[in-house]
Amino acid sequence: MNGLLVPVLLILFAPLLGGLAYGFERIIRARMQRRTGPPLLQPFYDFLKLADKRKMIVHSTHAFLGIMHFLSLWFALAVLFLGGDLILVIFLHLLSTSLLILSGYSTRSIFSHLGANRTAISVLAYEPVLILIAVSVFILTGSFDSASIFSYSQPLLFKMPLAFVALLMILPIKLKKSPFDVAEAHQEITGGVELEFSGIFFEAIYTAKWLDYVFCYTLVYLFGANNPFMGLALVIFAFLYVNALDNSSARVNYKQMLRFSLMVALPVAFINLLITILHLS
Amino acid sequence: MYLFVISLFIVPVIVSGLILLLPKAMSRMLVIATSVILSGISLYLFIALNEPYYFGIPHYMNDIITAADILLLLFFGWIAIRRKSWLVGIMTVLQLGALSYLITIMPVADGRQFMVDKLSTFMFLLINVISSIIAIYSLQYIDDENCSVFRKKYFLSILFWFIAVMNLVVSSDNLEYFFLFFELTTLASFLLIGFRKDEPSVKNALTALWMNQIGGLAILVAIFFNMYYGYGSATFTNLLAHSSAPGILLPLALLSVAALIKGAQMPFSKWLLGAMVAPTPVSALLHSSTMVKIAPFIILRLSPALKDTPVASVVIALTGFVFVAAAIAALSQDNFKRILAHSTIALLALMIMMGAVGSPVTIVAALTLIFFHGISKCMLFLNAGILEKLFHFKQASDMDKLAETGPFTSLVITIGFMSLLLPPFGAFIGKWFSIETMGTLALHQKLLGALVVTSIACGGALLSLLYFKVLGLLIARTGNQDVVKFEKSKPLYNGTMYILLALIIGSVLSFPFLMSNYFAPVASQTLGLSIAVAIEGWKLHIASMTLSIVPLLIAFFLLPVTILLGMFVRFKNVDRVKEYMCGEKISYSFSSFYFSTDKATPYFSIIGILFFVALLVIAVL
Amino acid sequence: MKLNSFRKKSPWILHYNAGGCNGCDIEILACLAPKYDIERFGMINTGNPKQSDILLVTGPVTKRSRERLVEIYAQMPEPKVVVSCGSCASTGGIFRGMYNCEGGIDQYIPVDVYVCGCGARPEQIIDGVVQALAILEKKTKELEQSVRLKKEPVMEGGQLNRRNIAGEIIKLPGQ
Repeated sequence: MNGLLVPVLLILFAPLLGGLAYGFERIIRARMQRRTGPPLLQPFYDFLKLADKRKMIVHSTHAFLGIMHFLSLWFALAVLFLGGDLILVIFLHLLSTSLLILSGYSTRSIFSHLGANRTAISVLAYEPVLILIAVSVFILTGSFDSASIFSYSQPLLFKMPLAFVALLMILPIKLKKSPFDVAEAHQEITGGVELEFSGIFFEAIYTAKWLDYVFCYTLVYLFGANNPFMGLALVIFAFLYVNALDNSSARVNYKQMLRFSLMVALPVAFINLLITILHLS
Repeated sequence: MYLFVISLFIVPVIVSGLILLLPKAMSRMLVIATSVILSGISLYLFIALNEPYYFGIPHYMNDIITAADILLLLFFGWIAIRRKSWLVGIMTVLQLGALSYLITIMPVADGRQFMVDKLSTFMFLLINVISSIIAIYSLQYIDDENCSVFRKKYFLSILFWFIAVMNLVVSSDNLEYFFLFFELTTLASFLLIGFRKDEPSVKNALTALWMNQIGGLAILVAIFFNMYYGYGSATFTNLLAHSSAPGILLPLALLSVAALIKGAQMPFSKWLLGAMVAPTPVSALLHSSTMVKIAPFIILRLSPALKDTPVASVVIALTGFVFVAAAIAALSQDNFKRILAHSTIALLALMIMMGAVGSPVTIVAALTLIFFHGISKCMLFLNAGILEKLFHFKQASDMDKLAETGPFTSLVITIGFMSLLLPPFGAFIGKWFSIETMGTLALHQKLLGALVVTSIACGGALLSLLYFKVLGLLIARTGNQDVVKFEKSKPLYNGTMYILLALIIGSVLSFPFLMSNYFAPVASQTLGLSIAVAIEGWKLHIASMTLSIVPLLIAFFLLPVTILLGMFVRFKNVDRVKEYMCGEKISYSFSSFYFSTDKATPYFSIIGILFFVALLVIAVL
Repeated sequence: MKLNSFRKKSPWILHYNAGGCNGCDIEILACLAPKYDIERFGMINTGNPKQSDILLVTGPVTKRSRERLVEIYAQMPEPKVVVSCGSCASTGGIFRGMYNCEGGIDQYIPVDVYVCGCGARPEQIIDGVVQALAILEKKTKELEQSVRLKKEPVMEGGQLNRRNIAGEIIKLPGQ
């Protein structure tokens, strides 16, 4: 039962962790721009303010799909923390993104529609790479379960460095950060899919963004396997890298993003898979 | 037992004749009664048959079969002359030549020309149940069609005759009989595609004819090589018995070519896409649920011999490529039936790939895929027919009004698409297959294994993109009305939809049970190995694979149930507001996204041709 | 539990130019820049009325922009405040009396704080916003509609349909 306590606590407090990560990120971004930035608990103030607005929706299907996007992302995170199957986790994440995309298509709003199109394309950009990384993990550790990574003898980083590089390449796409933030291009399509949500229903999308952070950084942490300090160091490194990249680069359009992901990130993951197979025999 | 199997052959033929003669009301009852009887018999056979059952037919039937072969080819020749199609003419001449040469050198077939084993009964079940549902649907569909009464009867009668031929195909052991029935399905395809007798129909029917004739020719050449290497009579069992003999690769490669052409893999995909001009029941029956399933069926039959051979490697590489290519091509289509056709080609590639790898888990996965794909595609195509007849549109981009004018149809199409994305598709098949590929191929073909995994990952992502596109169109609402009222539709349409819905939901909910009790025994008999299947606690174990069921069931509730609930959920006491369009008051209507793949398509054909050539070359070497 | 106090901790801004010269717009954007940095108060410039609390309007209302201004105001969820930045938004400014310009925005939407200045300075704008926040804290969630161009929202089955509460042009007496 003890082994179950830590994951369950992590799952229950995942939104809190995510909120803190998001707040921390806003401060880091401000400091990188030589500003002061909001207080650390700012996301929670946002949360409480949004809860107090008059409720407004475009139509029920749209709002309902937004809420289910949040719940299914939480469920994907739960399966990840409980040591579940990596391919299943990736599939559940795809499922929650697809609920978001469908909510984007369900209204007659241009920006929402465009945002859903672009989110669908960015799914195409990062999904194959993630699956290849998961298969490389399987080849190394012999099982798809994320629990088996923790019982592996060495941190995965040393055995699969190229996989970590590929993960870093697609992390901005998943987190919707420059240069790959076409899905949420604020200046172009005013937020894309999140546009039509308001008040407490926007809560769901906002909190889902926090959970997404937790999800992505947990994937980074997995590369540090059984050494918690290594995992934490990798997470901090990835965090700083993503924010530095976000602050210093411009947005590319979706064709360039697809081209980058399929011509650079996918071959890197593929070469990593080949090397892992060859080394194992 | 013998009686039941023979009835599956004879009853449809008799019914097909009777339909031409009886008046409409009686033929309706006859069709419904026959459907129930056929489904019942095939279900019984599936449950009851345990050992492979061989039987033969009297000697004089041999001559009748050969005479039928020649008559058929002469008919093709007549079509070639009448329609002035030199491709069909060339193929017919080649086939006639090969057939006459074979007749002279072939030994007299001994008593056992037919074999019914668990794989055949599995296919029986699929064929008869799905065809029955489609036959009931076509009663209504063909009524709404614009043609003479006799042609309507002719349509239904050919449909039943086709059911008989399909039953014969999956139970014949002798390759010459198999060739005859193979070409008879080609004939049925030709007649039904050209049913509407307008210019595109005739052209596409001819294309289907000559492309499938290449497949028939490949079977004939395979029989020739069987004789040449002296394996005895040309049967599947004989081929499998000689699986380690030298020179076995060539017949295997040729039979795989026939399978790949029937399964419309590139570069031979044009006939399937062109066949979509046919009436919808034809597209549902022939070109997604039953006839094209001959392709994975052949590969599954041959899988004990095909496993680990260079031929299998080329087939795997080819189908991996086709999976990705068909998914890319599907994104460029607007016509709803063409989107479904491309998705069929992609999933067929996956099934053939799994058959070719040949390990226990992949065979079970292939069977599961065949079963679920058959039901889902049938439902989707029948809905395409409803869209055509009741709502009068064929393009996918017109579907954005469907959520509010036709909620029930949009619901059913949504369920159909999602059953292709969910367990037991989606996560399962991809995972299992990647594991098994790694396991079996990692011994000597690492590059191939890695490439296959990559192609599955990319293809899967592309197919998800396709589903988003269509589901997004289905879920679009204006937000002006809140209440959902199901539309009025014809009773036969509704009836068939309910049956299919029940089948899909029932199958998805009970798939662990289905997989362990029904599919695994089929696979084990096909391979000749025993597969250990167990369900303990919340995990399903098949061979060396474990799968935890609870997260999958929850995923099942999250995606489809969410989308379905989303149609009915109402938030009370919440304001309704307009969408943000920078304050403009104009209303917009949307289409969807398309990718033009014109630049890539020639490359697909070229690469496909290269693969086919490689297949034959490797077999020779 | 009263969540009113959190309204001033995370005010989200929507900035709309109703037809002005962009002078005040530049000053508003300068507020977001490192020197004045209003993000330390938790203010984000959302581009989206559905997620914002404060509507910052610059420029006078013109014949073309009046419907859009009211549309955007209608799509903001209550509680909301309007700050009119600059003299053009308050009274028409230097464009007052021109053929296309109708004057201050308070003819169409209720304004809570007027910030004066022609090229209102960032310090003035920040001061105005802070005063608006004090007003925001006391507001209720009642439906607030525009002054002109309004149409009654329709009550359908327990919910308010406000998809059409920005009405058509009303002919004023004497026009």
